[in-house]
Amino acid sequence: MSAETNGAVAAFAGLTVRYGRATAVEGVSLAVQKGEVYALLGRNGSGKTSMIRCLLGQRKACAGSAALFGLDAWRDRQPAMRRVGVVPESPDMPPALDALELANFCSRLYPTWDGKGVTSRLERFGVPAKVPFGRLSRGQKNQLALALALAPMPEVLILDDPTLGLDAVARREFFEELVGDLADRGTTVFISTHDLHGIEGIASRVGILKAGHLLLDEEMEALKSKFRTVRWSGDAGPSPDAPSLAALSPLRVRRDAWGTEAVVRAFDEAAFARLVQDLAPSVVEASSLSLEELFIAMVGEEGGLS
Amino acid sequence: MLRVNPAEAAPIWRQIEEGVRRLVASGQLRPGQSVPSVRDLARDLRVNPATVSKAYQHLTDAGLLDVRRGEGTFVAEAPPSMRKAERREALREGAERYASLAVTIGASRGDASEELGRAWEDLARGKSGGQP
Repeated sequence: MSAETNGAVAAFAGLTVRYGRATAVEGVSLAVQKGEVYALLGRNGSGKTSMIRCLLGQRKACAGSAALFGLDAWRDRQPAMRRVGVVPESPDMPPALDALELANFCSRLYPTWDGKGVTSRLERFGVPAKVPFGRLSRGQKNQLALALALAPMPEVLILDDPTLGLDAVARREFFEELVGDLADRGTTVFISTHDLHGIEGIASRVGILKAGHLLLDEEMEALKSKFRTVRWSGDAGPSPDAPSLAALSPLRVRRDAWGTEAVVRAFDEAAFARLVQDLAPSVVEASSLSLEELFIAMVGEEGGLS
Repeated sequence: MLRVNPAEAAPIWRQIEEGVRRLVASGQLRPGQSVPSVRDLARDLRVNPATVSKAYQHLTDAGLLDVRRGEGTFVAEAPPSMRKAERREALREGAERYASLAVTIGASRGDASEELGRAWEDLARGKSGGQP
């Protein structure tokens, strides 16, 4: 295990997953440290679920490895999984059992079980205790899965797009509950999600996956300070490789009727001041990007990275 | 009464710190009044509790908040006393951030000074100003 992944709660080292001749994940390395909330972002089919399946020991890596607490997720699945809480994309449980029966069943699989926590979470979510799992709504199934995943007080919570298909209210409740657990126990979280708006304030670190490759792996705060949209009036101005613009590392430059817009990934005040000088007398503006805008700039169809 | 926008470039902990400062400066939070717990504020804002905790830590270090063990967190009874040099340093740091913001959104020096004056008046009149 490399020095970088030492002490990590979850880590991938050169992970490669192939299905037949198709490569789903290629040489991905990243580490999730204790107390972090790591958000793995990527479009459908980018390899997120393959990575999570490897981390849960459900799939063997073709090359490289996935590890939990320094244990190989495939070889040491049993001891590793006892310390993990999981909310899968579509929770699958015996359809005839109700929430209480499922909680009772699961409680016997773990050495510690916070039964009161399950009851109070289900109450807050409004998940009925006596309705069979098969008749619960999609949102209720995910909420129940979260309540059951948190009950053994896991050291790490692994969530595979847990708010997919949930309405706005259910998504909000789901994230509030997650935040509450972070406050109470400081659980480490590894979450793949399409809900960029919901995760934006919660994630402490972000990875972006595109076609099986990790394009970016960075602290959220650093990410936010480095990415900007820079606009100036008129279609004059530097080409993307002019030094004053290149210093900001433009991802893509677009010209439209109002002027020119560049998304840059290495913004800093001094470099920007030089660009402003170069472009005088044009008016130059810099504005921040939401996680969603940043994501689209990185992986969108016209995103300049290929 | 406190809002943050995770999409802003300014780190969320700084938005919270500045939001609390604004509420105290405008008298909406009074000395001795309690502020929400880290857990409650994190849930309300749906942000990472570590972020709220970092903002509270900064405010406590600055003498604006007061943590009473087992009771909660309160607005300090007495305004933090600062040495002249420290105050100058804090003002310069804030001014630098404001000036950078003004420049990067293409505002003139005159616009920036005018807004600063207006914000000062709003606080004096007990309006929180800032975010719409």
